[in-house]
Amino acid sequence: MKDLKHMIYFEKLLEDAHNELVIKAQEDGGLAIGYTCFHMPELLLNLDNCFSLRLRAPKTTSLEISTYYMSNYVCEFCRAILERSIEGGYNFLDGLAGVDACAQMNRCVENIHIQKLINKEKFFMSHIDVPYKVDPNGIAHYTSQVRLRVLDEMAKLGVDTSDEAIKKTLDIHNEVCRIITEIGNFRKEKEVRVTGHEFHILNLITYTCPKPLILDMLRETLEEIKVREPDDKKWRARVVLVGSEIDDPGLTELIEDTGALIVADRFCFGSFPGRQEMHLVEGEDVLTCLCRQYLEQSQCPRYMSEEKIQQRYDMVDGYAKEFGADGIIYEQIKFCDYWGYERAMASHVLQNEFGYQVLSIDRPYISKSSSGQLRTRVQAFIESIEIKRINQGKEVSADNFLDHGKKKSRKEKRIERKSKGGKS
Amino acid sequence: MSTSTAKQSKEQAKLDKIAAKAKEKHIKEKAKIKAQAEKLKGLGDLYHGEMYMKHREWRGFKDTAYDFYRWLITMKDLMVFVARAPRRITKAMFTYRWLCSYLSSPAFIDRHSMGLRGTSLRVLHLQYNAMIKNTTKLMATTFKADKRFGKNKYADKVVLFDEMMPMHIMAGFPNLIGIPAQVAAVFQCSVMDQNSMIPYLDAIENYGLPADVCPLPACEAAVAIMDEYPQMGVCYISSSMPCDGSVMASSYQNRYYNMPTFPLVLPVRYMDDTSEAYAVEELKKAIAFIEEHTGEKYDWDAFFTCMKQYNEETKLEMNKWEINKTNCPQVTGATLAMYRMYSFLISASRDPLFLKVAKKVDRLITKANQNGEKCSKEQRHRAVLWSPPAHYYEHYSLWAENCWGINVLIDMESLVATRMFSTDDKEQALKDVAYTYERMTMRRHTNGGYKNVLDELWRVCKDFNADMVLMLEGVSCKTMAGLKGLFDEQARERGIHLVWIEHDLMDPRTVSRKSMRESLNKYMTTVLREEPVDPTLVDFDDEKVW
Repeated sequence: MKDLKHMIYFEKLLEDAHNELVIKAQEDGGLAIGYTCFHMPELLLNLDNCFSLRLRAPKTTSLEISTYYMSNYVCEFCRAILERSIEGGYNFLDGLAGVDACAQMNRCVENIHIQKLINKEKFFMSHIDVPYKVDPNGIAHYTSQVRLRVLDEMAKLGVDTSDEAIKKTLDIHNEVCRIITEIGNFRKEKEVRVTGHEFHILNLITYTCPKPLILDMLRETLEEIKVREPDDKKWRARVVLVGSEIDDPGLTELIEDTGALIVADRFCFGSFPGRQEMHLVEGEDVLTCLCRQYLEQSQCPRYMSEEKIQQRYDMVDGYAKEFGADGIIYEQIKFCDYWGYERAMASHVLQNEFGYQVLSIDRPYISKSSSGQLRTRVQAFIESIEIKRINQGKEVSADNFLDHGKKKSRKEKRIERKSKGGKS
Repeated sequence: MSTSTAKQSKEQAKLDKIAAKAKEKHIKEKAKIKAQAEKLKGLGDLYHGEMYMKHREWRGFKDTAYDFYRWLITMKDLMVFVARAPRRITKAMFTYRWLCSYLSSPAFIDRHSMGLRGTSLRVLHLQYNAMIKNTTKLMATTFKADKRFGKNKYADKVVLFDEMMPMHIMAGFPNLIGIPAQVAAVFQCSVMDQNSMIPYLDAIENYGLPADVCPLPACEAAVAIMDEYPQMGVCYISSSMPCDGSVMASSYQNRYYNMPTFPLVLPVRYMDDTSEAYAVEELKKAIAFIEEHTGEKYDWDAFFTCMKQYNEETKLEMNKWEINKTNCPQVTGATLAMYRMYSFLISASRDPLFLKVAKKVDRLITKANQNGEKCSKEQRHRAVLWSPPAHYYEHYSLWAENCWGINVLIDMESLVATRMFSTDDKEQALKDVAYTYERMTMRRHTNGGYKNVLDELWRVCKDFNADMVLMLEGVSCKTMAGLKGLFDEQARERGIHLVWIEHDLMDPRTVSRKSMRESLNKYMTTVLREEPVDPTLVDFDDEKVW
């Protein structure tokens, strides 16, 4: 396929948390608010002159100092964020909006706080409590936490946190979501015009750059993709990637290099959830309405109620059907307790009760450090999908996913060959 | 150039000489300790590499006779337990692998009473006997209600609770039986027998769970996937307590029990002003849920009666801590946390025996404190034990006391539930319960922000005038691990001896009891350069011991 015009620039932006668009936005008077979890409503961090940055630690190598502070049994993402903070990599932040959703990230943020690692003037740090279930009591608690611990802190910096400001931000947020969703929907096609890796980069950009500065480029990219000619490349399998935080495009690249096309991204920093439009409901308080939607959309394994547990399985099943996947990869960043349990259980449920082929892997924060092992496991998984397909009498290629296993007649095959210009 | 090389090599030789001297000294010290151990008779001599001890400890005529009398009482309690439902318990023995571990109950008490004399010995036996009685009662009820062994009248009266969720609210349902679902199969079992949880850990890891998660919720999930929980109950109260692992294990329990489930979840950041209203509402919903599924009405009078007992127990417990703050502490080591776990968490003030024992213990220790009675042979260091202890080595602090004269005056797991409950105002009582639940065992320190565990430790050290912290580092406890460096730095700043002792909570294969001892031995010989109180306890083989 023809390269996308802005792709190289986007990749370059992802090489540093403090990228040139962030610098530009701050020069124009913007306030950079870092956050680390979906449970911190991203939309609200973009009010007025603020812009949100989902923290990443690209090009992480050694984690020695953070390992001293947090031990080597703690999630590498958390340690990488702490290491980068110790190195001074987030000194540009004007605020850090933390959530107490997982203990490890909470400790990471607390380390940053206690050690005073970010000492910019007027820098603020907040922590919100996130309920374990979604009910009116939980929504009310969550909303009050967001108001008290985040919006009030932002207001102290002179940020307009009124309902009008929220509505204004909502328009930009929804436009980004619409573009990303539209681009993502191209992955439903039989012959895809955007790969999972490319989509991952585009989506990551929306999390890590000031939105107004990338909006034009995103619009242009969407138009480009609409007229893009798909490759002749035969993907060996179509998979849904599910699991914990992935902000390393190297991982999606590694998976796709083995011949598996990632058609849906249900992981933290993915588009499911995260890039669904938000809508205000008449008669409902604006903030409560948005907070409710964040809780309802979240598919984090920390939710304990039965309906949320079932929702997680059903959603993955739904993505697999909608995007025509023939396998599911459950991944978990090493030492993540939530996804460790969820991966073990869900990989059995999706396989035994929903009938999918499932690969279950744990991985380091930066995939390069274990690329050989990961590649071998994904390759073996693809082969198992292919073998299953052969046993069912289908072609090896994943292109027949829309036929739902229907065996092609000789006549159909002949017509297909003709249309591709081959010998009849 | 050559001059500087010569200088360097000279310095190197000097350093080598110092290192050789230090090594020689260390070897000599070790040999000295070994020789002393060979010469002296000590508690370490009781171990001979088998599951059981060589013989019972000789404590002098009076104390040995008392100890033996208590051993007989334990045996009697076990027999009474079997007599409560002989057929069902026999069947259970062949159904549940974990149940066999309870045969070692007398040995469990022996381990926890090693080296104790006088009042300390009596206090320990009184407290542990209450635990044994409560456990056998709980287990007898469990097996009577177990549907696996046939229909019965109890099963539909049982409300199952997550084991980490205190059950005080069940006091308001006097006609129902509240049972902590995983206590018998996981918690109690793992403290009785160090190897009891190994098959379960293997099973859950084989299922796909990473080996780096905390073994407690991992075992809870494992017993579910191996179908080894007794089958009973009409509904289940799951819980988010105390940590992320427990939250996730509850999804395994939900799936296993397949009965109406209410997740009773409380705010993590409990110091926040807004958390109280949320927690109280959750408690109200939990009560309504139980009412709905059992048809029972909440009896506030019954609840208040139990809470009066809770208040009395709490007062007596806090008096224990006050006595330990003096120069003549009385209740040291594992018994503090173990008893607290049973009286507050498992019994939740619904068993009058705990109050009776607490009163008796209070009388004994007050008298002993006034008389200046020593709780151990030597009292060299006043220590605080922080972080959750290893279940397979709960009596570690007793070993530290016997071997190095380190008195553990207080620990993290004991320091919970200090607020008195209202006994006449329903709304206030719910607020009190919510406040206490938010700060229940482990959760009080590991949740709600670093101040509750980091700053709190230094406050406790000051209160108890402690010069040492035994930091029991559960290698898979990520909440504590996240502050490791800060603990180190702040202890150094305060001049407190902070000793890291690694363990893996329920898996002695990762860090054995011996390795745990070695961590302290090294610190005591190399940093503090002290001689052991009992050299036979420095190195012995207890790998096979229950």
